[in-house]
Amino acid sequence: MNLRQFTANRKLAMVAVALGTLALFAQPHRGPFVKLDARELASVVEAEVDHVTAPDLAAWIVEGRADYRLLDLRTEQEYAAYHIPTAENVPLTGLADYPLLRNEKIVLYSEGGIHSAQAWMLLRAQGYKAVYFVLGGFDAWKDEVLFPTLPANADAKARAQFERAAQVAKFFGGEARIGVAPEAGQAAAPAVANELPRLTVPPPMPGPATPVAKKKKKEGC
Amino acid sequence: MMTPLYKYGFFGEEFSLLVAFALGLGFGFFLERAGFGSARKLAAQFYLYDMSVFKVMFTAIVTAMLGVTYLGWIGVLDLDLVYLVPTHLGPQIVGGLVLGVGFVVGGYCPGTSVAALATGRIDAMVYALGIFAGTFVYAEVYPAIKGFVNSDPMGQVTLPEVFGLPWGLVVFAVVMIAVVGFWGATKIERWAGSRS
Repeated sequence: MNLRQFTANRKLAMVAVALGTLALFAQPHRGPFVKLDARELASVVEAEVDHVTAPDLAAWIVEGRADYRLLDLRTEQEYAAYHIPTAENVPLTGLADYPLLRNEKIVLYSEGGIHSAQAWMLLRAQGYKAVYFVLGGFDAWKDEVLFPTLPANADAKARAQFERAAQVAKFFGGEARIGVAPEAGQAAAPAVANELPRLTVPPPMPGPATPVAKKKKKEGC
Repeated sequence: MMTPLYKYGFFGEEFSLLVAFALGLGFGFFLERAGFGSARKLAAQFYLYDMSVFKVMFTAIVTAMLGVTYLGWIGVLDLDLVYLVPTHLGPQIVGGLVLGVGFVVGGYCPGTSVAALATGRIDAMVYALGIFAGTFVYAEVYPAIKGFVNSDPMGQVTLPEVFGLPWGLVVFAVVMIAVVGFWGATKIERWAGSRS
């Protein structure tokens, strides 16, 4: 076959058809197998930039920020009973197939914090760059945001902070308390009588139900 | 195009603007080289006797699609980092029709009008004024049509996801549609050319 009998356009068309046919076998997306950079992950953990604190998250929600996805890793029942506003319920096993983008900021929380830290590792290993977990998990949300407690021996600075925390707690339907300083040797037991706020009073969240990341670059003709 | 590199932090904000400038110059240059700096050439598309717009745009689609597929396959490009415009089917069909009408009436699409403006064409300058006026009007009526603009949200989806087909099959199908389309377009050009 003499290639000269074809015009340049036809040759290009043939190349495109050949590449297109080969592409039938292409797997441009990665499968469930992952590679992880152990040193990079260790340095992220060491630098403590892998988490957000519960009060920080509360501040984001109060501001109405929509540039993150908040994932609740607890069970469906627990999620139905109460969840942090804006959270989406995703079981740990469903995380691999959950529609997330690698360029989204993802915040995870679970009951205590162990599951979310494990999920953090799974997502980081799959190449999700901006994954964080709520330090202390849902327990920290309860103790630090919904029902913050002021120790009896607090100084002025702590009191000022507590005032702010009390407002945030009210915003989320919780209640701030002025407690007794835990005595030496006695564990600072969280108040057990705290009843979780009902979900009927979610904070005002402007915008669509699914948070859309803002400030993305538009591309087009 | 530079998005994955930018997001990976290979370069910062300032350098990304330089890269965007260089890409924009290249884009404009090749639009002009394809003859798209002329409204006559672009309008000919709608009279069917010159299907260059169809051919050039579809070639660009096929080239970029094959490039992205192979770069993703060999692991150079992470496809999840490529930004996709979220799909709103209904509003985008209406928007496409509005843009199409503007294309037919004005003889340019937004990109080509800027290329034509750079070569000093007066009709392109008028067209550019139209773009600013249209942008202004849209911004003013946006509160009234906000509900419609944001209706039908499908998120950032791709054809393989929507149709539940393997990625490679869609790539193959698009290449085949392009090749058959080019062949058909050439036939139509001859037919329309013989009529005029």
